[in-house]
Amino acid sequence: MNTAHALIPRNALVWLLTAQVVVLVPHLPRLPLWVAGVWIGCALWRVQIQRMRWHYPGLLMQIVALAAVTLGVFVAQGTLIGLDAAVMLLLLLFMLKLLEMRKPRDALVVIYLGFFIVATAFLFNQGIPLAVYQCFSLLILVAALVGLQQTQSRNDPARAMRTAGVMLLQAVPLMLVLFMLFPRLGPLWAVNAPGGQARTGLAESMAPGDVADLARSGELAFRAAFDGALPAQATLYWRALTLTQFDGHSWSRSAVGGGAAANWEPRGEPLRYQIITGASHQPWVFSLRGADSDDERLLLNSDFMLQARRPLSQGIAYRATSRPDSLLQAGGLDPLQRRMFLQLPEGFDPRSRTFAAELRRQYPRDADLIQALLRYFNREPFHYTLRPPTLGRHSIDEFLFDTRRGFCGHYAGAMTFLLRAAGIPSRVVAGYQGGEVNPRGNYVLVHQFDAHAWVEAWLPGRGWVPFDPTFQVAPERIEDGLQSALQGEGSFLEDSPLSAVRYRNIGWINSARLFWDDVNYQWQLRVLGYQSDRQMDFFRRWLGTADWQRIGLISLGALLLCMVPVAWWILRPARRPTGFRQRAWQKLNRRLARLQLQARTGEGPRAWQARLVEALPRQQEEISAFMDTYVELTYASPTGSDASHASRLLAKRLAALLRVLPRRRPPRPTSLASLPGRPQER
Amino acid sequence: MFQRWLKQRIPAASQVRLNHRRIFIMPTRAGMGLLILLAIMLIGAINYQNSLVYAVVFTLGSLFWVGLHHTYRNLAGLELHAGGSPPVFCGEDARFGLTLVSERREHQAIVLSWSDSLPQRTDVAAGLSTNLTLYHPAEQRGWMRPARLRVETRYPLGWFVAWSLVDLDWRVLIYPKPIRLPLPAMRGHGEGEGDQFLVEGVDDFQGLREYQPGDSRRRLDWRAWSRGQGLHSKVFAEPQHDSRWLTLSQAPGLNLDQQLGCLAGWILQLEQQRQPYGLELPGVRIQPATGESHRDVCLRALALYGVAE
Repeated sequence: MNTAHALIPRNALVWLLTAQVVVLVPHLPRLPLWVAGVWIGCALWRVQIQRMRWHYPGLLMQIVALAAVTLGVFVAQGTLIGLDAAVMLLLLLFMLKLLEMRKPRDALVVIYLGFFIVATAFLFNQGIPLAVYQCFSLLILVAALVGLQQTQSRNDPARAMRTAGVMLLQAVPLMLVLFMLFPRLGPLWAVNAPGGQARTGLAESMAPGDVADLARSGELAFRAAFDGALPAQATLYWRALTLTQFDGHSWSRSAVGGGAAANWEPRGEPLRYQIITGASHQPWVFSLRGADSDDERLLLNSDFMLQARRPLSQGIAYRATSRPDSLLQAGGLDPLQRRMFLQLPEGFDPRSRTFAAELRRQYPRDADLIQALLRYFNREPFHYTLRPPTLGRHSIDEFLFDTRRGFCGHYAGAMTFLLRAAGIPSRVVAGYQGGEVNPRGNYVLVHQFDAHAWVEAWLPGRGWVPFDPTFQVAPERIEDGLQSALQGEGSFLEDSPLSAVRYRNIGWINSARLFWDDVNYQWQLRVLGYQSDRQMDFFRRWLGTADWQRIGLISLGALLLCMVPVAWWILRPARRPTGFRQRAWQKLNRRLARLQLQARTGEGPRAWQARLVEALPRQQEEISAFMDTYVELTYASPTGSDASHASRLLAKRLAALLRVLPRRRPPRPTSLASLPGRPQER
Repeated sequence: MFQRWLKQRIPAASQVRLNHRRIFIMPTRAGMGLLILLAIMLIGAINYQNSLVYAVVFTLGSLFWVGLHHTYRNLAGLELHAGGSPPVFCGEDARFGLTLVSERREHQAIVLSWSDSLPQRTDVAAGLSTNLTLYHPAEQRGWMRPARLRVETRYPLGWFVAWSLVDLDWRVLIYPKPIRLPLPAMRGHGEGEGDQFLVEGVDDFQGLREYQPGDSRRRLDWRAWSRGQGLHSKVFAEPQHDSRWLTLSQAPGLNLDQQLGCLAGWILQLEQQRQPYGLELPGVRIQPATGESHRDVCLRALALYGVAE
C-alpha cells in the first residue's frame, strides 16, 4: 500500500548491487568467466537506467537475453538438466532480474533470490571459510532489506547494517535450537548430486606410476577416530578396493565380482572406529581388514570391503568394526574365482614368468615361496622412489630385473604377477597406509600421499593373507610414513610448495595445521554430519530418550526457553538517554513540540535559541538562561563539583522555563493567505 | 461491529499512546513469500541432507520471528498528540496537525494515512518528537471528524506490518465552498448608495495601537516589531459609511449549500475590500464590522447553519 507505486530509489539500488556481488562471489570460481561479464553488463545497464540514460529492455530484448543465457548454460554444462545447470541458470536469471526491476517488489524478489543462492552455494562446498563468508552474505542481504524499509530521506547504510547484525544475533539462539531439534528426515526423493570436479583419489585402475602421482598430493583423504587407543601405524592398512585384472600395463577391478561377502570368520580383538570422508563420487570407502558395519548406507562386498551403496555425492561419517586377524574366505575359492585370481595376459614379461617357475621349483609350499619372494625384494638392490623411470612394454620384467626403482604400485604389481605366474591366487589391494596422528583430537589424518598398494595372496586354510613388498624395500615408509621414506630424495610434495603438510617439521606451522584440521574434523563430524543417526545419538545422550513424543515435549520446552528471553530482550524498555543534559534537552523539546516548535535537524542550541526567542518573546529570559547553562555544560565540559553544580543549575533553569511556557499554542486567527482556494489574488 | 469493538478498545482521545492493546500485527505478503521460500529451501536441505542449508533456513526462520518483535517494538510506545486543525473551505484539504512523541525509543518509517489519502512516512528520533501535517479532503460543510487514522510500520524487514487505528478526536470546521458572484445591489438598512463603499480608507493613516488578537496581519507594523518595539497595528481612518447586510434571501442558488457558498464568496470579497458587512441568517444576526476575526465568525455561522452541532 505504501510503496507499491514507488520506484526503486538510488540507495536501494546500491544495496541491491552490493548484495548481488556478495552473493555471487562464492559461485564465480566454479563458473566460466563470461558469467561475471554478464553481471557487469547488467549492473552497468541498470545504473544507466537509474540515471535516465538508457531504457529498460523491451520484451524482445528480454526474450533474446533469456535465450542467450540458456544457450550459454547449455554450452558450459553440456546439459540443461541437473543441479549444476539449474544453479547456473538461476544465477544468470538473478543477474538479468536487475534489468527487469522496476518496483520495490522486484527488489524484494532480488533479495529473496539472494537468500536462495546463498543456500545453493552450500551444495557445492561446505567448508568453514564458506560458511563464515555466507554469514556475511546473509548480513548484507538482511541489511539491504532494512535499507529498503528505511525512510528514504534518512537512509543510513551503517545503521541498516547494525540493525541487521543485531537482529541476526538475536536469531541465533532459536536457530541453534531448531538446528538441533528439527527432525532430520531421509531424502524425500532421489536427487542428483552436484557434479564433482575431478578430485584426486584412488581410481578403478592402477598403472604402476599412478599411486606415485597420487602421492604428490597433500590433500586429505579421510579421517579415522578410534574408540580406544590408536593402533600402531604400521598396522593401519586401509583397504579401499582390490584390483584383479591385469592387461600387461595396468591393474583394474574385475568386471565380475561384486555381490555380498562370502564366508569369513571373525577372529581377534575388535577395533572400533569412525571414518569421516568427503565427497569422492566413488562408491568405495575405507576400512581395516576384517571390517563390518551396521551402517545401512554401506555393504560388505565379496572382497570383504565396505562399500557405499551409492557413490558418495557428499561427505559421509560411518562407524565400523574391524577384526584384523579374521580369516577371509578360508573355506576355499570356487573355480571361477580361482581362474580370476590367476589371470595373466599372454605375451608379456617372459623373464618374470621364468623367474616365477624357478621359484616354484625351489619352493613347493606356497608360504615358503612367498617368504622367498619377500626376501628377494629385501636382498636385491631395489630402490623406493617417487621418481621411477618410465617402463616399456614388458613393464614387470624391466622393473624387476633392470631399473629396480619404483613406488609401492610397482612392487605390489610385480609381486602379484610373480605369485600368479607361480600359481598362487593373488590380487593387488589399493588403499592407504598409515596416517598422521592428530594429538588434539586423538584421530588419524590420512592424506592422499598415504595412498598405498599391497598384495593379498590366497593360501589354503588361511584364506586371503596380506603381504607388503614395499615393507621389504623401504620399511620406514610403513613405520614412519612417506616423508621419512623420501628424506634423501627430497621429492615429498615437491609440486606443492605451499602445502602446510610439507612443512610439518616446523613446529608452529605444524601445530597450527593440526589445530585447523581438528576444527575441520569437528565441523565435519558435528555440523555437516548432523543427520538422522547423529541426531538420534544426540537425543539419546542429552535427552536420554529416543521416544518422539518425549522429544517433542522437550523440544517445545527448549524452544520456549530460548524464545522467551530473546523476546523479552527485544521488547525490554529502552534505557533513557544517559546524560542528564540530553534528558533535559529532550524534555524541553518534547514540551516545545506541543507548541508546534521544533528544532531542525542539526540545529545548534544557539540557533534554536534565536528562533525560540522570536516565537516566544515573553519567555526570552528563561530561554536564554537555560541555553547558556546548556551550552556551558556541552562545550566547556566542566568536571567534578563544577559539573554537578552546572547540572543542578540546568535542572533549575529547565524547571523555570517549563513553568513559564504556555500550555498550548496561543490560538491564532485562521490564515487564509496560504489557502489555495482563496478567491482572490495577492 | 468491528467499529464498535474498535471504539471500546481504542477510544477517541486527543492523545494516544500505542501499546499492546492498541497494536495489531500481521505478516505481510512479503513475509508470506519468505515462508514459501523457506519451505522450498527446507525441502532442498532434506533432499540433499545438507546441514548448512538447514542452517540457512533456520537462521531466516528465526529472523522472521525476531522481525515480528522488532516491528511491534517499532510502533509500541509511540505517542500521538492531536494538533490544531484550522477551518478550511469545502473542497479543499483539511489540515490536521499531529505530533509524534517518542519517549525513549526511536521509531522509524512510521506511515500515517487515512484509507483514502496519500500516506506520509516519518521517523521519530528517540526521546524527541516530530510534527506533521496530515491532509484530508473536506467534502461536507460543518464539523468534520476524520475517520480513524491508520498508523503503521513495516520496519525493519517488511515481513510484518504492525498497525493501529487511532481516533485522535480531531474536529475541523468546514466553511461552505465560496462561489464568486458579483455583490448584490445595496439593499441595506441604511439609505446610502453603493458608491460610498468604493472610498478606500487605507491611506489615511491615523496612528498605532497595541496589537489585539483579531487585527489583520496586513496592518501590523512589522517594521516596529523588527526593531523590537513590540507588535502594533496600524489604525486607519475609514470613512463612515453604511454597512451592508448579507442575508440568505439575497443569495441565488439551487440549494442551501450553494446559497451559503454565495454568501461566503461575498464575505471574502467584502473583507478584501475592507467594507463592513453584517450577516443575517434565520436565528443568527452578526453586526456589521470588518477584520479577520469578524470574517471568521461569519464564515463559522455559515458553516454551521442548519447543521447539528
